[in-house]
Amino acid sequence: MAKGSDPSRSELLKGTLDMLILQTLSVQPLHGYAIAQQIELLSEAILTVEQGSLYPALERLQKRGWVTSKWGESPTGRKARYYTITAAGRRQLGEEISDFDRVLFAINRVMRRA
Amino acid sequence: MSLIDSLRYRLRVLVRPRAHERELDEEIRFHLSLEAMQREHRARGSLSTADAGWAARRRFGNLTTTKEEARQMAGLGFFDQAEQDVRFALRSFRRAPGFTAVAVLTLAVGIGANTAIFSAVNAMLLRPLPFREPERLMKVSMVVPARGDQPVRTDMPWSYPKFDAFRRAQTVFEDVTLWMEYQVTVRVGTDAERAYHEQVDSRYLPTLGLRTALGRNFGRDEDTAPGGPRVAILSDAFWQRRFNADPAALGRTVDIEGKPFTVVGVLPPGFRGLSGRAELLIPVLSQPAEFINEAWSHSYELIGRMKPGVTPEAAKAAVQQLGAIVDRAYPHPEVKNERWGAMGRELDRTRVDPMIRRSLLVLSGAVGLVLLIACANVANLFLVRAAARQREIAVRLAVGAGRRRLVRQLLTESIVLALLGGVASVAVAWWGVKILSALNPAASLRLQQVGGIGAVSFESIELDAVAFAFAAAVTFAIGLLFGLVPALQATRPSLTGALKSDGDRSPLSRVRGLTSRNVLAIVEIALAVVLLAGSGLMLRSLGKLLGVHPGFDASNTLTMRFNLIDVGRDSLPGFYDQLLARLEAIPGVTSVALTDCPPLNGGCNGTVMLQRDRPAAAPGTEPSIGVHWVTPNWFSTMRVPLTRGRSFTRADRLGVQKVVVVSESAARAYWPGQDPVGRPVSVGQGGFWQDTAYVVGVVGDVRFGTLDSLPKPDVYLSYYQSPRGRMMMFVRTSGDPEAIAPAVRREVAAMAPGVPLYDVRTMRTRVADAMSYARFSAVLLAAFATVALLLAALGTYGVVSYGVSQRTKEIGIRVALGASRRSVLRLIVGQGIGLAALGGVLGIGGALATTGVLRSLLFGVAPSDPATLVAIVAVLVVSVIVASWIPARRAASVHPSEALRG
Repeated sequence: MAKGSDPSRSELLKGTLDMLILQTLSVQPLHGYAIAQQIELLSEAILTVEQGSLYPALERLQKRGWVTSKWGESPTGRKARYYTITAAGRRQLGEEISDFDRVLFAINRVMRRA
Repeated sequence: MSLIDSLRYRLRVLVRPRAHERELDEEIRFHLSLEAMQREHRARGSLSTADAGWAARRRFGNLTTTKEEARQMAGLGFFDQAEQDVRFALRSFRRAPGFTAVAVLTLAVGIGANTAIFSAVNAMLLRPLPFREPERLMKVSMVVPARGDQPVRTDMPWSYPKFDAFRRAQTVFEDVTLWMEYQVTVRVGTDAERAYHEQVDSRYLPTLGLRTALGRNFGRDEDTAPGGPRVAILSDAFWQRRFNADPAALGRTVDIEGKPFTVVGVLPPGFRGLSGRAELLIPVLSQPAEFINEAWSHSYELIGRMKPGVTPEAAKAAVQQLGAIVDRAYPHPEVKNERWGAMGRELDRTRVDPMIRRSLLVLSGAVGLVLLIACANVANLFLVRAAARQREIAVRLAVGAGRRRLVRQLLTESIVLALLGGVASVAVAWWGVKILSALNPAASLRLQQVGGIGAVSFESIELDAVAFAFAAAVTFAIGLLFGLVPALQATRPSLTGALKSDGDRSPLSRVRGLTSRNVLAIVEIALAVVLLAGSGLMLRSLGKLLGVHPGFDASNTLTMRFNLIDVGRDSLPGFYDQLLARLEAIPGVTSVALTDCPPLNGGCNGTVMLQRDRPAAAPGTEPSIGVHWVTPNWFSTMRVPLTRGRSFTRADRLGVQKVVVVSESAARAYWPGQDPVGRPVSVGQGGFWQDTAYVVGVVGDVRFGTLDSLPKPDVYLSYYQSPRGRMMMFVRTSGDPEAIAPAVRREVAAMAPGVPLYDVRTMRTRVADAMSYARFSAVLLAAFATVALLLAALGTYGVVSYGVSQRTKEIGIRVALGASRRSVLRLIVGQGIGLAALGGVLGIGGALATTGVLRSLLFGVAPSDPATLVAIVAVLVVSVIVASWIPARRAASVHPSEALRG
């Protein structure tokens, strides 16, 4: 998700962004900024989320009913909107993971053979 | 699970969009501040707060795009776009006032008329009856088998003993009640008036599910035996009018036909009995025993409420069997094998006379056609508009506007227009409903024998929520439908043609073809022809009805009714002498006569007549005959021709040889080819049964029923030989009949004080009223047909006009090559006639197929009447020529150089 380098990857990335967000939220509810930080942290800075694309993605996930949001208090006492994954979201996550694995496996095989 | 969360989110966005936007902003601000804080922290002082903030924003990416995308995702963008579309639509309508005015007006008329008729249909046919669980109510009638020339009767009322037998034997109804309507003289204090009342039993109100608003219902005491307590329940209107809504009215007395009744209750407002016009209810059993116990006096209607769980079919089957039981208990005294039966019908099915139901449905169809034509016109207008904007749309598509977005915008335009039309249609509908409920053609019909429940009538039509919902639904459907097709067509992705030149294609292709505009115009014309055909037939039918000679002279005659209660039977002839003398002395009065039942009444008393010089026919097979009481000068007053023998004289009185006069139909029926004068007969009423009477004269037929039915045989008795207190007065005047009404009232009041004179109308009004329903239907249909023709003409004008504007170049070339003005006119008008020809053929085919529906409403005219069709075609051709003339003239005055420059 490097900024704007490869246009063909952005299509693939829209789906994977959703998957990454769901995965992050499957551990605990977080607010938007924390989600971005977490993804960066866990991927050891290889994946940097284009922060601007995070919020539309979150709206999309809410519209699908995979994520819900509620205003709460941050650890510093400020008002922040926390996102929680739903049961349907978890199911979706499982599906996306297995899809992703399949695609990855297929790409691998092609690369090895060719 | 995901569905609930999803819906909850969507709902939140939908209901509070502004809040959602604010929250998004706040969230992003929070994000940015955290990022800024972090950078500042990491930089350990080498970054100022402001710079950190900027860095955070840079890191974030394009703020505006993000917010825009997020809002799009959330669905908030929808409202912005919609608002934009609506504003654009309104602006463009303001710029084209002609188009907007025509479209809105067309829609207003189409939708408004439909809403008005729908209100009528709703009130009269659809709205549930205002009773508790009205679908459980059933009307049970007696069935009389066919006898002589009378067909089977399935709506015969009950007599009290038969009702009682039914009530005891039945098991399918949880409640059974009876009612009868009658007009009586009611006196409160000194004021007497004629009022309708209903005689009912104590179960009447509970069966319908109603309670008295004040006081009590009739109870067990009133239901025990004939000659029971004289109590009355007032209608709310009567209570307001005569007792000033005073609660102390309970316990007061009203005089009904001279007998005192105590008021015990008041009905809730709006309920006037099943007849729809009762001012009072009294118990059936308040009447004397000789009326009640008469098993063959059939006057009462029976209503039952089915027990819960009983299906209508089961109830009907049970009723049939009960009919047989009642018949066994009361076999016909004379006709040995006449078996009466009983039949049940859901009350809702009997709510409206079948003729009224049929014409309402016809009117619905007609007004629906008008709406279709209006829609076609509007669609055409839209097509023209879209074609004119082809370039603009092509440019927008080429520049990158999504097709869906564009279609949505065009659709919004048509929906906004439809809404404007819908709002305007409310005014039209309101006005239409006022007219319909005021016209109330059925009011005068109910004096005749028309079925249905009075509680459902034209007066109950109003513009209510259902009508509004209907109008709204139609409006929206129109907007959607007639906006979608042009929008889709206009945004078809073949841009190059539109972008290339100024939009017109090569002159050879598609100018004369079946473009959708032309097809629409043809369809409009066809529909208009169908409507014209229907209305033409109804108008001709009306004309034939007007041409029917009723058998008497209706001019300059005033009529009124009154009933004498206090004069004894023997003193009546003297009373008649005096009354007639006094009235004829009034200046302006030519002659005065009395009869019991007026012509065009829908029917009068009927009985049987036996010829005494022939063997008696088997009982039950004697032909029925109408019987009328008249004073001797009635025939001369009404100008009924005397064809044989003599009329009555004052010498034919009580105690002298009984005489009768018969009508021509009677003479033909009973004495074909012979002279009836001098023949002996007996008539079943008026005391003429036991004695023999002799025919002294034959008079011309008078229509006592309706104008569109053949006159039946009639026999006349003289009031002087069979005196009666009920009479109807006919006063022939030399001048305006209404002018002498006050003088007549004075004379009658002088002779019979306290006797109300009612139903005062001129004979001409009576005749007009007898045709009021036919007139009503014909007039409405004609109005619709005229509107349809106007709309179709407008549509033709539009299409031809557009064709001219498309062919300007071609016409210019023709004129430059030497074509005369006349040939150009012929060309353009020819296009119009071409449309009319196709539309006309289609329409006549449609008319022939559908006017069969009108058959039962027509009189003297066949549904495929050729004269009418020819007349319609003529009207059509003329209209089309007129509609094509204006564009044709415009075309003819095109200067070739202007056209070619184009």
